[in-house]
Amino acid sequence: MNALEARSIQFYYDKTQIIDNISMSLSRGEFLGIIGPNGAGKSTMLRLLCGILRPKQGEIQLFGKNLHEQSQRTIAQNIAFVPQETHFALNFSVEDVVLMGRYPYKRPFQPEDQKDHTAVEHAMNAANVEQFRNRPINSLSSGERQRVVIARALAQAPRILLLDEPTSHLDLHHQHTIMELLERLNNEGISIAVVHHDLNLASLYCKNLILIHAGKIYAEGKPAGLLNKKMVREVYGIEVTIVSHPEKNVPQIFL
Amino acid sequence: MTKTIAIIIIFLIAIALGILVGPTRLDSEILQLRLSRVVLGIFAGGILAFCGCLLQGLFGNPLVEPYTLGSASGAALGASLGIFLFGAISPILAFLGSLGVGFFVYTIARIEGGLLRDRLILAGVVMSFLCSSLVMIIMVLGGRELYEILYLLMGYLGIIINATNRVMIIALIAISIGLVAFLYRYHRELDIISQGTETAAGLGIDIQKFSLVVFFSSALLVGLTVSIVGAIGFVGLIIPHVSKLLFGPKHIRNLGASFLLGATFLLFADTLSRVITVYELPVGVVTSLVGVPFFIYLYKR
Repeated sequence: MNALEARSIQFYYDKTQIIDNISMSLSRGEFLGIIGPNGAGKSTMLRLLCGILRPKQGEIQLFGKNLHEQSQRTIAQNIAFVPQETHFALNFSVEDVVLMGRYPYKRPFQPEDQKDHTAVEHAMNAANVEQFRNRPINSLSSGERQRVVIARALAQAPRILLLDEPTSHLDLHHQHTIMELLERLNNEGISIAVVHHDLNLASLYCKNLILIHAGKIYAEGKPAGLLNKKMVREVYGIEVTIVSHPEKNVPQIFL
Repeated sequence: MTKTIAIIIIFLIAIALGILVGPTRLDSEILQLRLSRVVLGIFAGGILAFCGCLLQGLFGNPLVEPYTLGSASGAALGASLGIFLFGAISPILAFLGSLGVGFFVYTIARIEGGLLRDRLILAGVVMSFLCSSLVMIIMVLGGRELYEILYLLMGYLGIIINATNRVMIIALIAISIGLVAFLYRYHRELDIISQGTETAAGLGIDIQKFSLVVFFSSALLVGLTVSIVGAIGFVGLIIPHVSKLLFGPKHIRNLGASFLLGATFLLFADTLSRVITVYELPVGVVTSLVGVPFFIYLYKR
């Protein structure tokens, strides 16, 4: 049984088709990269997979059960979603932000208990944000903030983590720490799907890739087989040089 | 903790001043009048600030309040119509005005899967202007009721509670307090939604349902308040800011603190309204007079 499985998904706004008959799955323990050019539909697909958007046609299954027959709380106990960039209108402390990840486990007026605090400590530890615990969230750099958002997602104790371009505004150092963190979480058993437009990062860290182009799946498979000159020419319309990474032996693209 | 104690003490001082200060000597009749004003002040100030806190949280916008969303103006229109038609404030017409404008604004701002927050405020402000124009027409036509409508538009806590309206006013206050207690359950949702609707949806909040419940409950609360004491401005806008400056961003503290601070502020404003000039001023005039400089001070500090 797959962690997530999408069957014949159609999605459109008004008359603009965004997702055109996509079937895909996220198996357990997978580290999947969803790649494709801007406007291809990859971020939309991610939002469909976590139930923020509802498909117009088709069905999504979460561990074998129809996603939309489950409550939003139950979904949030299984899937955590990390948006591209979070704007913090209110300046909460880092610990308070991470504690919000416990929301799907709380009833109105029910105070946080030991279990919540243990989950929060574990999440802050995993994302390496403990040292910021009492800092106001907006005093952190964008890379540090992104780690806090991932810690909040981990506090949900999810089995699946979905991330939308988690490294897009970050410098080299923070790109690296975030991807290493995801790799570690994946090794601990969390299934991960991450939308990327940086093909080289996706190639370095993802076990498998799905390439979405114009709302359809163009190709899927291991980075080594999927990233080639012909694909880049057809999807992105440019000529590139592709070499193998000297240490990790995966394809890297040069303009 | 000390801050909490401090605002409770200031609240009690506001009550004491509201009872003791005034141009006439305190006898049992005056005491009764002033007590009813104090009760109405706590009720109206608390509710308006509480609603401001809710709405600013829901829409993630510091300019949102019952006025900028149009529901206060809608309630004032309904209440003015009541004065024109029946010669008395009619709570039903005030709710209908508040809910009607709220519904209209909500419909304009609604898109598939969410609300356009900017459009919501624009729609609210536009609807406020429309309601004001309609109230002006009623005032011109009304003639005799002009004075009463003027006080309704500015807000006035000195309405006489008598045998005919006592039960109704107590019932309205009881309903409001019940709604406030019910809405308090959403403090976590309000914290989370400040980080965007997608984050909130990802954490399992049913945004559509949550927005509807909060938006229309606050429209109802504003309708109830305006129908009794008129449209008092500024409390719903500034008090939540003051509360956040004092107590930080968490809504579990802010909702309660806003209620208490709003009540305190309106009691002070009402006491002032009775002593500034020979005539009693509408309390809304005083809230703006005191509120604007206070607001500027807080932000320039």
